[in-house]
Amino acid sequence: MEFLNLLLILTAAFLVLKRPERERTAFRLLVVSTLLMVVLFSLATRSGILPGLNY
Amino acid sequence: MTTPSSGSLAPAARFDPVFTITALAVLFLTVVPVGTAVFYLGFVRGDSPCVMCWEQRIGMLLVSLVGLFVLRFGPRPKYVGMAILIAAWGLLMGLRHVGMHASRDVGQGFSLEIMGAHTYTWALFTYWVCVIAMGGLLLMVRPAHLGVSVRTLNSLERITGWAFIVVVAANVVQAFASTGPPPFMGQSDPLRFSFNPRYWHWSTEEWKPPLKLNFRGRWAVDKPVLASLPIDPAAGPFGSLPAIAVKERRSVPMTFNAAPTDLAFDAATNQFLITTDVGVYLTDAALAMINRYTLVDAGFSADLGRFAGAAFLDKGELIAVGENKSFVVLKPNDNASADSNYRYFLESRDRFDEVNRSRFGTVRARMFYTLSAAYDPASNSIFTLTVPNNIAKRLVVSRFDRKDFTLSEEYVPAITRDACLTPFDKRGLNEFTVTGATVKDGLLYAISAAYSTLLTFDLQSHQLVAAYAVPNLKQPVGIASMGDDLYILGADRALTVIARPPVAAATPKNPMCTTEEKR
Repeated sequence: MEFLNLLLILTAAFLVLKRPERERTAFRLLVVSTLLMVVLFSLATRSGILPGLNY
Repeated sequence: MTTPSSGSLAPAARFDPVFTITALAVLFLTVVPVGTAVFYLGFVRGDSPCVMCWEQRIGMLLVSLVGLFVLRFGPRPKYVGMAILIAAWGLLMGLRHVGMHASRDVGQGFSLEIMGAHTYTWALFTYWVCVIAMGGLLLMVRPAHLGVSVRTLNSLERITGWAFIVVVAANVVQAFASTGPPPFMGQSDPLRFSFNPRYWHWSTEEWKPPLKLNFRGRWAVDKPVLASLPIDPAAGPFGSLPAIAVKERRSVPMTFNAAPTDLAFDAATNQFLITTDVGVYLTDAALAMINRYTLVDAGFSADLGRFAGAAFLDKGELIAVGENKSFVVLKPNDNASADSNYRYFLESRDRFDEVNRSRFGTVRARMFYTLSAAYDPASNSIFTLTVPNNIAKRLVVSRFDRKDFTLSEEYVPAITRDACLTPFDKRGLNEFTVTGATVKDGLLYAISAAYSTLLTFDLQSHQLVAAYAVPNLKQPVGIASMGDDLYILGADRALTVIARPPVAAATPKNPMCTTEEKR
């Protein structure tokens, strides 16, 4: 899934640099990539979302 | 990449601190942490990120990507919003990862170390710098920056863009080799990176159920509650135990600020010590009159929580231990200054001095609360025993040196074969909830509120050497040794006096053998 996410980032960067008229698409890719990062990290740490420390 | 293919272009970019600093920041963030991670740590040294490291690395790239948006389209509010959201999540990711290793011994960590800190620590630092940098840049933004449609990029900004493309492309390669295409994803313990497909290992381990979210995980330990514990000794891990004879049962007539939480006795001063949630009471030997007391300000300085253990120490001092293993050492003083002690005590400030307030640190008992404390003059040590909780169940005996209050010994007691005690299948000492303890002649006597059982541990052999049922106990909270007797105090101030039982040898006359040996 990290491979897919990095491809999304690469595509978004390409659009920003080479196809700026596709700003909306690039921004959507940024949002999707961010959400994917949040989901994957939450999945990997689902047994304890918050830092494992005293509170 | 020099010019966009269409769109309304701003005039050729001239020097503007907002865009120049943004370009430098994006270039730095892309090349230094992420570029170093993929090219040097990954391709040269074979480091493969764990799944958490991957997401932190991707978060940094996303912050950099937002920077590219700003360079191209100006600092639009939605970009700033995304950057803050990503960096905030990055800080949480960094804290979560650092939290796994922060309390390990010096030098220990996970994966590679860079300049004295492991990679995840640098991730946390990087996100923190991102937030600082974004705040600084926002201070420099002027209304003219917000009207930008599409900017042409100057040389620095083009270099930044190319650097980003190259670093992300390299990460794509490493991600394909290390984590694989969807649905495969990063791993908790990744293999060493290799370009050779023979050594690629793609995993869906992280997708496996249960997929239930938990915020605090194993740290969500409930504080002990005695009211719901089973009290029938026959239902305990050892089944029917020999009952110990009760010599006396009465109620303690004194009034405390709250329910008692522990009991101790000092033969030198002929006094009992009773603690409540924050109260420390010294009484006469008849448990009829309070000689002196104080209420400790438990929230000041080290959080003492609720007192759950009490013991007399040497030098005329006494200790009250909170259920969180924080403690305070007090010394009675008839000439104590009420003004000086304002910071320590809530009431009766002129009867004690505070000598020390700190915390016991443990290893095996770290994730457990305690409800007991005992002092052994022979070893000049303080003992605590753990109570089971909603996450884990284990009875751990911890010994702390009186001189520096530091952990000196810790163990999970075994059950001596000589005791003729055999727990039922898969049951054991971890089911007991020890609420009081006292040491006498090398033996640690512990009273358990669960199953109303008196446990006797040999401090030399670290073994349980005897166990007896104590009839009609209700929420015992403390036990003290006075002469040949043991005094057990309940939360309702009920006092039960029993004769201190001998440690029976493993003979047919051993009363325990008659009930347990056959099973």
